[in-house]
Amino acid sequence: MSSIPHKPCCGDNRNLNPAKPSEPPFPSWIRRPLPSGGDRQQVKDVLADLSLNTVCLSAQCPNQGECWSRGTATFMVLGNVCTRDCAFCGVSSGRPAPVDTDEARRVAQAVDRLRLRHAVITSVTRDDLHDGGAALIAAVVRAIHGTCPGVSVETLTSDFGGADSALSLVTEARPEVFAHNIETVARLHQTLRDPRASYERSLSVLRLARTLLPRKCHVKSGFMVGCGESEEEVGATLRDLRAAGCDAVTIGQYLKPRGGRVAVARFVPPDTFAAFEDQARALGFAFVMSGPFVRSSYHAEAVFGGALRSRQTDVSKNDS
Amino acid sequence: MKVEMEIMLPDMSDGEDDALEAVVSLWSVDEGAQLKEGDDLLEVTTDKAIFVVPSPCAGVLLEKRVHENDRVCADDVVAVLEADL
Repeated sequence: MSSIPHKPCCGDNRNLNPAKPSEPPFPSWIRRPLPSGGDRQQVKDVLADLSLNTVCLSAQCPNQGECWSRGTATFMVLGNVCTRDCAFCGVSSGRPAPVDTDEARRVAQAVDRLRLRHAVITSVTRDDLHDGGAALIAAVVRAIHGTCPGVSVETLTSDFGGADSALSLVTEARPEVFAHNIETVARLHQTLRDPRASYERSLSVLRLARTLLPRKCHVKSGFMVGCGESEEEVGATLRDLRAAGCDAVTIGQYLKPRGGRVAVARFVPPDTFAAFEDQARALGFAFVMSGPFVRSSYHAEAVFGGALRSRQTDVSKNDS
Repeated sequence: MKVEMEIMLPDMSDGEDDALEAVVSLWSVDEGAQLKEGDDLLEVTTDKAIFVVPSPCAGVLLEKRVHENDRVCADDVVAVLEADL
């Protein structure tokens, strides 16, 4: 026994049964190293100092420990309250605050202070704004390019309500990677996504982005599995994304956020994720990340590098 | 030199005011176990995943301060180690 006095732990209701009868228990592969200190604390300090949000915190991402320990974070701009209410999402839904026009400058400062090489910029959906927040997102991209030359930027955007003009504002800023998540297979959209979103609209966004962006820029999408979809439906989604012009895709396990309304249907085993990856590569995706803890911006800097190396390989083959 | 050290659960906060809670799901070692830095100490389960708490240093696990099924949160002392420094 130690000599250090025993202090009571938090909570009055000890020895509660953690089991949730309505959902499958966590399998052995849904295990993560606990977020440690070091660079993670530095990231938190910089974000707090500059009054910035990250989707890492707002969406309760289980990869915080790994990503933040590498000095990588996904900035969430336009506030942390979303105008939509998707059943799978842990971000707060409601009435957002006015746009903070200084946010672009502060995000660029954070990218500089954290010495990031690849910055991911995402946002809540802002249906209350005439441009869906596209102008602010574009300003962030330009601020980072201006403040941190050589840093690549990835934007992960909403569908902007289908407004092509809003999407154009973002693509004109020339993010090195444009991403928009299709989130799930077609059949489950009604269950999982806000009624204002749709599978076809998401494909249209990706298709238009591919048209507007130069070939050196990449188009990326991501979706969750474990929500009740079939493997055939996953294959169909991959084919649709590839046909829309995506060259990067991420596939991850749906994990119910606190307060979430949709239960996990199943925990997809690692070998099935590997099979999805093989399928995606066979379709011609230059970069694929598929695994239980993969999220849209997980190892985003490696995604960008992977797609770029693939393009360079293709070019050299054509030259020979 | 041997020093008694309290092992606290790291911050897993997911918002400004809302501390993330977890439930102790498994102890990987028993009191008296000799540990190397990085060895698994215990596992805690949150809404999102099972997190593994590693030993921050080499030493001996003197005392478990929490038990399986206990609810814990950031900064809770989960164990006391006699650390080899």
